[in-house]
Amino acid sequence: MTVEHHRLELETFLASRQAVLETWPTGADVDLEEGIRYHRSIPPHKSFAPVMRAADARGVTLLQPRAGVALVDEHIRLLQQLEQECDLLPTTVDAYTRQNRYDQAAQGVEKSRRAGHSLLNGFPAVNHGPAACRQVVDSVSKPVQIRHGTPDARLLAEVALAAGFTAFEGGGISYNLPYAKKVPLERSIRHWQYVDRLVGLYQEEGVTINREPFGPLSGTLVPPCISHAVAIVEGLLALEQGVRSITLGYGQAGNLVQDVAAIHTLRELGHRYFRDAGFDDYELTTVLHQWMGGFPGNESKAAAVIAWGGMAAALARATKVITKTPHEAAGIPTTASNLQGIQITAQIVNMMADQTMPAAPVRDLEEQMIRREVDTIMKAFFALADGDLATGAIRAVEAGVIDVPFAPSAFNAGKLLPCRDDEGAVRILDRGQVPMDEDVFRFHQDRIAARARTERRDPGFQMVIDDVYAISKGRLVGRPTA
Amino acid sequence: MNHPVIVLGVIGADCHAVGNRILDMYFSSRSYHVVNLGVMVSQDEFIDAAIETGAQAILVSSLYGHGEIDCAGLRDRCIERGLDDIILYVGGNLVIGKQRFEEVAAKFRTMGFDRVFGPDADLAVVDRLLRQDIKRRQPCS
Repeated sequence: MTVEHHRLELETFLASRQAVLETWPTGADVDLEEGIRYHRSIPPHKSFAPVMRAADARGVTLLQPRAGVALVDEHIRLLQQLEQECDLLPTTVDAYTRQNRYDQAAQGVEKSRRAGHSLLNGFPAVNHGPAACRQVVDSVSKPVQIRHGTPDARLLAEVALAAGFTAFEGGGISYNLPYAKKVPLERSIRHWQYVDRLVGLYQEEGVTINREPFGPLSGTLVPPCISHAVAIVEGLLALEQGVRSITLGYGQAGNLVQDVAAIHTLRELGHRYFRDAGFDDYELTTVLHQWMGGFPGNESKAAAVIAWGGMAAALARATKVITKTPHEAAGIPTTASNLQGIQITAQIVNMMADQTMPAAPVRDLEEQMIRREVDTIMKAFFALADGDLATGAIRAVEAGVIDVPFAPSAFNAGKLLPCRDDEGAVRILDRGQVPMDEDVFRFHQDRIAARARTERRDPGFQMVIDDVYAISKGRLVGRPTA
Repeated sequence: MNHPVIVLGVIGADCHAVGNRILDMYFSSRSYHVVNLGVMVSQDEFIDAAIETGAQAILVSSLYGHGEIDCAGLRDRCIERGLDDIILYVGGNLVIGKQRFEEVAAKFRTMGFDRVFGPDADLAVVDRLLRQDIKRRQPCS
């Protein structure tokens, strides 16, 4: 399969479209033209792009939970309860659908019906089909986004967009490396070009669908420069296919200064790279995901982690924050626990709304480091791309220039090793093949060395493991026990 | 048996990779021979690997909530394939929602798992129990 960066020709798109719609029976119910007519009737307060645009203009941070259950009625009830407290709604898709295993999702729906409660970890939107998905959108009064983790989301996008969802998460790198074991990048990039082109077709009809590359990646000690580079590359690929509303994401790492610097630079660098590529008619907003790693089992302690994420999002003026719940350590939350996560976040976001993080040399330094790291990675990316950014993305992953720590994909280099410094900021212990200026790498090494002195041990994999578990065990930095 | 052979993997459509890496590292450091199948492993892949390597135990992980569906029938399938005595452990967030661990553990023991662990299991305890269980199953010991 060859992949090129240019906008997919309508003929190429339509030729593959029929095969996509035939992969599951509900594909036959997808009616693009009817979908476009429906989208035109959606009021702005129920559409993602205008709501995000307005929040950005006002400098406020909107709240969005994750949520999805197996059955349509149950899912509608869940969203109707959540919308009392949040600004933006999700529809989180189950893990079978994410792997295109619609037959297993069908069994999950059946078993959930018999059990009287959801046995799936999300909403199987493809199985339910466009009409049932339309019911979901019609039953709520806030914008709804599809959130998932699907390397091949072509049919899911067809169904969801025709149904009236106004935002769609994911991308060819961010929904491959952390979510698949052996899907070649060529394939996922190609499939996400299809999704972005579909969004582009809606856009040509005057319907703006918001697109959000998945920021947190593996959610485990991901250095900001890695997730920023992926977000910018996926943003460029999406813009080329005609996407116009983009939300770039970042997963909270835990050190407040680094997290605020990360959101600031994400917005700044996104604009710089998009404009340098010749795009000017787009909207860019940001999202911070509350801590995506392991949570404390104790719900009060989990609430503190949630509040800390709300704090970072509000101080950084992220356009939205994705909330966690006090049940996080135990898996899928109840509606009540999900509401608690939103309420905890609302309280702190509101309290921080009138406060700003003062400019300070430490923050300038963090921002400068992130800028330099991202610029070095992007320079290597453009060199590998040699004029074709889709090919560049594939080669950058292959070469380990983009390397996501702890990603399950066999196609991820897995050489980069991160760990925290003495103040909990995520630094790079082993850079693998990720290009870095020597003085920048030395900065990382020095910070880690300072921690090693504090802990009287050598930096190494044990330190990384201790960091992976630290928050769930009650602190940020994985200090040695005894 | 100084180096027991164990098969590790995350079952079903689950791609949670971090815990799997850590289990691999831990058990390798405790001188097990670890056959790690990584994430998204089917029941048959677990069984094939156990047969090929003569493993004493299969350690199944699941963190995404579909464990109840994914693990159903694994014991029967092991018996069908001739692995009558293999030790089956399962651990993680095995069901949808926060349920009492005792009830979840009882449910999975009924499904044929020898031991059931939560997401915060102490690996040193798992190691100790696994060695006991392996010793107990060994013929003529």
